[in-house]
Amino acid sequence: MSVTQPGPGDSTLVATFNAARLELKADVLRGAGGRVALERYADRVDALLRQLFAEAGGASVPVAIVALGGYGRRHLCVHSDIDLLVLFGGRIDAAEEQFLRGFLHPLWDLGVVVGHQVRELDDFAQLETDNPEFLLALLDARPVAGARQLFDRFGVLFHTPATHAFILTSLLQLMEERHARFNGTLYQLEPDVKEAPGALRDLAATRTIAMLTDPLLLRRGPADAARVDEAEDFLLRVRSTLHLEAGRNQNSLSHEMQERTANLLGYPGTGHGQRVERLMSDYFRHARIVARSLEWARRSAPLPVGPNLGLSREGVRFLDPLQAARHPASWLGAFRSALEHQTTVAEEALSCIQQHVDRYRADDFFPQAVDRVALLHFLTPRLGLYARLSEMHDCGLLGRVFPEFQAISWRVVRDFYHKYTVDEHTLLTIRNLERVSTTDEPSRRRFRNVASELVHPELLVLALLLHDVGKWRDDDHTVESERMAKEAVDRLQLTAEARDTVLFLIRHHIRMSLVAFRRDTEDPEIVKEFAAFIGSEERLKMLCLMTLADIEAVSPDTLTPWKEELLWRLYVDTYNHLTQRYGDDRIERNQAGLDELLRQRPDDLSTAEITRFLEGLPQRYLQLFAPEAIYRHVRLARDIHPDEVHVSLERDHSGVWTLAVATLDKPFLFSNICGVLSSYGTNIIRGHALTNPNGLVLDIFQFTDEDRFLELNADGQERLLQTLQDVVAGAEDVAIRLRGRERGVLQSRAAPRFAPVVRTDNGASGRYTILDVVATNAIGLLYRISGTISKHGCDVDLVLIATEGEKAIDVFHITKGGSKLTEAEQQALTSDLQRTLEGTL
Amino acid sequence: MKLIKSIVRPNKVDEVKDSLAKLNIAGMTVTEVRGHGKQKGHTAIYRGKEYNVSLLPKMEIEVVVPDSLADDAIKAIVTAARTGEIGDGRVFVLPVLESYRIRTGERES
Repeated sequence: MSVTQPGPGDSTLVATFNAARLELKADVLRGAGGRVALERYADRVDALLRQLFAEAGGASVPVAIVALGGYGRRHLCVHSDIDLLVLFGGRIDAAEEQFLRGFLHPLWDLGVVVGHQVRELDDFAQLETDNPEFLLALLDARPVAGARQLFDRFGVLFHTPATHAFILTSLLQLMEERHARFNGTLYQLEPDVKEAPGALRDLAATRTIAMLTDPLLLRRGPADAARVDEAEDFLLRVRSTLHLEAGRNQNSLSHEMQERTANLLGYPGTGHGQRVERLMSDYFRHARIVARSLEWARRSAPLPVGPNLGLSREGVRFLDPLQAARHPASWLGAFRSALEHQTTVAEEALSCIQQHVDRYRADDFFPQAVDRVALLHFLTPRLGLYARLSEMHDCGLLGRVFPEFQAISWRVVRDFYHKYTVDEHTLLTIRNLERVSTTDEPSRRRFRNVASELVHPELLVLALLLHDVGKWRDDDHTVESERMAKEAVDRLQLTAEARDTVLFLIRHHIRMSLVAFRRDTEDPEIVKEFAAFIGSEERLKMLCLMTLADIEAVSPDTLTPWKEELLWRLYVDTYNHLTQRYGDDRIERNQAGLDELLRQRPDDLSTAEITRFLEGLPQRYLQLFAPEAIYRHVRLARDIHPDEVHVSLERDHSGVWTLAVATLDKPFLFSNICGVLSSYGTNIIRGHALTNPNGLVLDIFQFTDEDRFLELNADGQERLLQTLQDVVAGAEDVAIRLRGRERGVLQSRAAPRFAPVVRTDNGASGRYTILDVVATNAIGLLYRISGTISKHGCDVDLVLIATEGEKAIDVFHITKGGSKLTEAEQQALTSDLQRTLEGTL
Repeated sequence: MKLIKSIVRPNKVDEVKDSLAKLNIAGMTVTEVRGHGKQKGHTAIYRGKEYNVSLLPKMEIEVVVPDSLADDAIKAIVTAARTGEIGDGRVFVLPVLESYRIRTGERES
């Protein structure tokens, strides 16, 4: 690096700097090198830096000079390092490097020890975890020169709860290591006034802990602020004298230095010994105050767990209750954090909410989409949800967020069965769901598995929360509950599909127990009717769990193993009906529900086009998909020719992709599509494959982008869709694409987590042989299964794809030459599949 | 007096109860039970996995009636609980030697 020659402006710089130093030294000599003098000196250095900045010439991007650490706090002793951050608002290029030289070299020429860090603003987008001392110094960041706006932008990037939590942890660790070097005691005969326990670094640490956790913390500490300030001033005065006497950055108060410091600070006494003794008494007195404050802060500081939220021994509390009182939308965060940390919401936070809750209306608690999403997410069943909801109820928040719920607060309904007030019964249903979702009880595992498969368990909790609100009136409560729930779900602005699900569950929450316990469920017609009424596996699962949780919340004895068994059987029979017989009933011209779909059709779709598309598809198609999705599918199937694929691909807010493919049927089609998806490293989690008698195929896959191919490649979607076209048209062989991956799959299939189940059934469906496959989920699994089916000359007419944790559960409806498979064909296919899945083929 | 103990399908309880009420037989004990007779349960399949349903949920209804009413009561139960399929259940009739009201200690004949 080149050395700059002293320029014409340098002599003034030197003079200014020397004058500042002389002024400080004079203060120190008077024994007055404490806070006031050091701050004044820091101001002088600030001015110097501003001058240097002005003379350094411009950079091509905005620049800010930021004081860090002790200098940031304006505690700059005469030989302290000057810690700086040179922050650039864009890429550092030649012009920036030239600016840096222009700024730093004159400083070095002045003989100042500069500890400088150079960063681009974007560097702060990610936490620099390998340099905790730098992060700590950044907490004291103070803009000195340059672009103020840039500094503000840095502040936004840097001050996040995650960064604060990391710095706090690092600070505590650094402190422990530092104390260990001093054997953990402040009573050192020759203390280091910067590093020793009770010295300046501990004092800064105390304030940092408070700043990171609870700004009001020190007010409740063992020493009042004035005594801590006094200790600081004393320690700074001692440090100033040490720097002056030693002529360098020395902080150790050695025996020799103790005499000189005692003299400089004007301690009275007849001899050295007495003066030193008085100095050291003062030192230990102040150091003890610092040490005790630090220890108190360390023990009492709440862990930052969210904006204005701290986790303390009493639970989650608001760091600034006044601020919290003004922001009702932040209250839910306290309950969410408590749930995440498996603790309670602190009593003082509950009191704060209780005191202010009546000032707000329901909408104030979730004014923005992000708040509404957070509320729904909060309702995900997990341990502690019941307890948190009960706290919300007790402090009046739940009844404000859901005024509908308030209507059943302490409501007594007399009947032979219920043992609790309606509100508590309601909350207990949620506790029961929470327990069944996490239970290890062998008899309950089947229900836990069902719970673990729910795509939107939070909607079930919402439905449970509102299922009995109509009980404030004495007549049929399900109708009234649904009416009231409509208002609640409208406020939450749920999607049309979510809204329908919640209202369906509330309206029909008694239906499943009625069928299970009062109807002859061995009658296939009863099951068929119930399956038609439910419509989808997801709703069946939700209603089953809702029934279980509801009955169990009536009284401790209401849910007997006998009832559980009846409920489970109805669930299984209905599930089998939904998954295995759904191909038997096809959509016909005068199908119920079709009128509505045709009436509401968008302008670009004709009645004939929709009917032609729907005719011959399974009836359940109308229940599985919302009208908007059906209209999309009709458009997709428009003007389709052999070897063409019409495709739509979209990603939802949770990162799950949905691929809809319309094409004309041909051998290996399903297997090829699965193969293409697998070749891009996607994990297929749910899906349907449907065929109509005209040979139109509609496959809908939901998958996750496991290898992040779509996320990381701007043209990823385009490439995937192109491959799909090529493979279906026969221009590319998916087997070749998959070869590399297959090796990986082979390795992973070497050790399946559980024995795969392959089963065929010729009796369940009138038209199809049903093939059930349950196996450890793996990328490429569907490709291998469907490829084997195709190799056996079978047509895949319908497929239901589901996953349950690591288990893939696939139901194929297959035929061969238009008929069900013979016994021998079934045998050959299942044994082939079994070997494929066990990795022996 | 006779003790009539019937094992019926769960969904038939209300009908049996109503039929007995028409004979002015009001007192009864209803218990959830599980068991099997000739029906011996069956195998259910959930997601390709079989599980055995050997004990079937049934309801047990017990009534004590004067000898003069026993035949009518049995007929009422059988009529109400019948579907004609396997698994409709059984009716057992047992003699009752003595009966006492606990509240009063009074013996009934």
